[in-house]
Amino acid sequence: MNGIPIILFTPLLAGVLAWVFDFKGVRETIGLIGAAVPLAYLAKLYTEVTTNPLNYSITVGGFTLHFQLSTMSWYFTAVASTVALAMAFGMVSTSRRGYEWLFALMSFTGVLGVFLSQDFISFFLLWELMTFASFMMVLRRNRHESLKYFVLSVIGAYSMLLAIGILYAKTGSFDFNTIRQALLMDVSLGTIGKGETILLFTLFLTAFGVKAGAFPLHVWAPGAYSETDQSYTSFFSGALSKAGVYGILLIYILMGYKLYAELGTFHGHLTFAYIIAWIGAITVVVASFLAVLQEDIRKLFAYSSVGQVGYILLAFGTGTSLGLMGGLFHVLSHAVFKGLFWLVTAAIILRTGKTQFKDMGGLARKMPYTFAMGLIAVLSLAGIPPMAGFASKWLIYEAAISAHMPLVAGAIFLGSGLAFAYVVRFLYGVWYGQTPSDLKDVKEAPVSLLIAMTILAIPNVLFGVAPGLVTKYLNKVLGGQVIGGTYTKLITPHGTYNALLVTVILLFGLSVAGLIYVYGARARKIAVTDTYQSGNPVTEDYNLSIRKNFYRPLAEALDFWLKYSWDRFYERLARLFEDFADWLREGFYNGNVQSYSWYLAIILLILALWGVL
Amino acid sequence: MIYWKLILEAIGILIYATLVGFLFMGIERKAIARIQRRVGPPIYQPLIDTLKLLGKKESVSHGLIYDFGPVFALGATITALLFIPVANFRLFSTNADLIVVAYLLEVPMLGIMLGAMSSGNPFSALGVQRGLLTMVAMQLPYGLAIIALVQHWGTFKLNEIVALQGIHGWSIFVPALLLAMIVFDIVFQAMLGLEPFDIISAPAEISMGPMLEYGGKQAAILFTQHAIQLFAETTFFTILFLGGASNLLTLFIKQLAVLFIAIFVASIYPRFTIDQAAKFFWKWPTILGIIAVLLTV
Repeated sequence: MNGIPIILFTPLLAGVLAWVFDFKGVRETIGLIGAAVPLAYLAKLYTEVTTNPLNYSITVGGFTLHFQLSTMSWYFTAVASTVALAMAFGMVSTSRRGYEWLFALMSFTGVLGVFLSQDFISFFLLWELMTFASFMMVLRRNRHESLKYFVLSVIGAYSMLLAIGILYAKTGSFDFNTIRQALLMDVSLGTIGKGETILLFTLFLTAFGVKAGAFPLHVWAPGAYSETDQSYTSFFSGALSKAGVYGILLIYILMGYKLYAELGTFHGHLTFAYIIAWIGAITVVVASFLAVLQEDIRKLFAYSSVGQVGYILLAFGTGTSLGLMGGLFHVLSHAVFKGLFWLVTAAIILRTGKTQFKDMGGLARKMPYTFAMGLIAVLSLAGIPPMAGFASKWLIYEAAISAHMPLVAGAIFLGSGLAFAYVVRFLYGVWYGQTPSDLKDVKEAPVSLLIAMTILAIPNVLFGVAPGLVTKYLNKVLGGQVIGGTYTKLITPHGTYNALLVTVILLFGLSVAGLIYVYGARARKIAVTDTYQSGNPVTEDYNLSIRKNFYRPLAEALDFWLKYSWDRFYERLARLFEDFADWLREGFYNGNVQSYSWYLAIILLILALWGVL
Repeated sequence: MIYWKLILEAIGILIYATLVGFLFMGIERKAIARIQRRVGPPIYQPLIDTLKLLGKKESVSHGLIYDFGPVFALGATITALLFIPVANFRLFSTNADLIVVAYLLEVPMLGIMLGAMSSGNPFSALGVQRGLLTMVAMQLPYGLAIIALVQHWGTFKLNEIVALQGIHGWSIFVPALLLAMIVFDIVFQAMLGLEPFDIISAPAEISMGPMLEYGGKQAAILFTQHAIQLFAETTFFTILFLGGASNLLTLFIKQLAVLFIAIFVASIYPRFTIDQAAKFFWKWPTILGIIAVLLTV
């Protein structure tokens, strides 16, 4: 008996208990314990995992399910558990129902299971558990968005099921190791042809692409991320989307060599990886542009989340170990900064009840701590050294450029410029400017939410100043010295980044600037309306902050492209199906008894011709 | 062990960069004035302006972030400067590479935006919006130029780029990198906030945009920041495309050449609106940039 079943099933158990004992105080305590236990156990198992992986298997209904805690799955589960703990603290403030605790923790179990599974049966089961639980979370708030999520998830699930079926038919096994060995052998045997390999690749890519929110399957994400409890979204977008990323990694592990053998290379890049890289690059650009133009705080972060996961796909797509390192690091940094963003959003929505930028403003004075946490997240997402977001982005830059993928790397530059733009929109819209009159008595977020934010803010700074903590561990995961250096200094084959020194020099620069500031004249504090207005005095009656269409010129520059939308395309497709089904229904079920008797006669005739009767 | 020599060098370069940066600002104003057939202010005018601002008896503040913005901007600029090898002084440049420096050179902008927005002035907000959109627009060609350079020289380290240019000749003598240089130079115009991309501050319509609310010591900090940024960016340009420099005099001459190109372009062209700028950046510079990166793959 090792820790794996405890890690895996405690959240689920806690969720059920929280649902049964649905009293204020009780469900929160149970939920918190359920979310904290996996992290505690993972911390305890750290030394064991780094020496050799732990195994665990259970037999259910004739199937043996294998779970393994390897260095890789430890990394993913640890990231997910950290975010989950923060989520639980956040939910203490924002959630009022046992229902939400049940499904939030159920999806936590699902995510952990996906990372720990060693065979396709448990992988698929827990994948579906995760999808189902997150679907239930969205369903509660918004039926339409949940259906969109559901339909795309079903498409993903069927693709995966088909792919697993094909693999089982060809290799006779569900076990990851056996499949991997079989596919390696198959490179020389050639029982799986080129067509089938491509089919398998496409199916898996669809399945995992849906969850990761890769373009053009990203359309569910903005709606689903917005229409649920925002504390849960920190987990949904921070950790659950990583299951898709993990799946892409699984393609590399299981089929990488086979895909290379069948598809070959394209201008010196692995063809299949190159496809993933381009999907990632397009996702980054499209989602970031859309994020810039959003007017709703939740939509903005939802699109930004899609874009950031695009970075991870892009990094994996370089196909080099440096790229894998960058992608894996970004899994961590995206989880912590985007989780933090969603918690900040949760606090804002909890305290103001508003979600649109046009209804907010000047909250920095009302919620200083939340603002500080938001600022950390902003700096990390925008990739300001020395934050975790910079370290991982830096690795991705180096990886993409060293892999000689210039256009893909260009997408990262564009994406990071756009990231600057949308985080500033968030800062300006929510925190600065005049406060609308109905938000005059907004209070600071509740303590548990502040704790949740702090939990996620610490890694943002810690792994930013000491990125070596992560890369040294990832060296073990990838089985080699990919990145050299110390805990605070990264050395790649062509570049260096000394995070600690950058921090020290930045502090030095800040203190020089600070000295000029301190030794200057005393500053008199003035009101926000006391500004230069070309000679026109301003009163509180006029709100002069730019509330709507902040980036209007960009929308004008892009008007040609904005005419096209995958979301609208799918909606139209859905309506088309609906109309067709309506037409069918109305045509057949026309309420006329005579036509019903005709149907009966025709069916009997067909059966008779078939020889059944 | 404390590296006293390094620390002294860093402080020396910082002072030198500040003074030369102010000199550049003066040259910029004087040259534009001469092109417009005015007399123009004396070359040391920006320095006196800054000292005057520092000497003000009182300054106003809109809150903590408002004050922190300029301080952060100056701090980040100093950081960027100290990671660039300035002539024969390597400073801390072995500890951070091209990508880090390119990022650090953009951070001050974010600092200024951060502070300016918190003032609540609509002109500032408009300036911030324009600044960020310009940045979004220039980011793609900027990235492509840097990628072309890295692909050609095969390293991210600024020292090695300089050393390789010493052996194989300056970057601009390589056809693909000449294209990259043209792209970078167009972007450079936006980085310095000069015409045709000076809509961020646009003195005549939004009264200096982001910098509008700042006066007294904050404005002095921002002026200083601009001076150091000017020095750092011209040095960066020199390192990437003009073979770096072996001493401060050579560096100064090269920086001056870079600066004068920027001034001449700025004096000729009128101002782009933001959507025009975005469309422009995503057309010719991007096409040239793509050609450059494909030639260097």
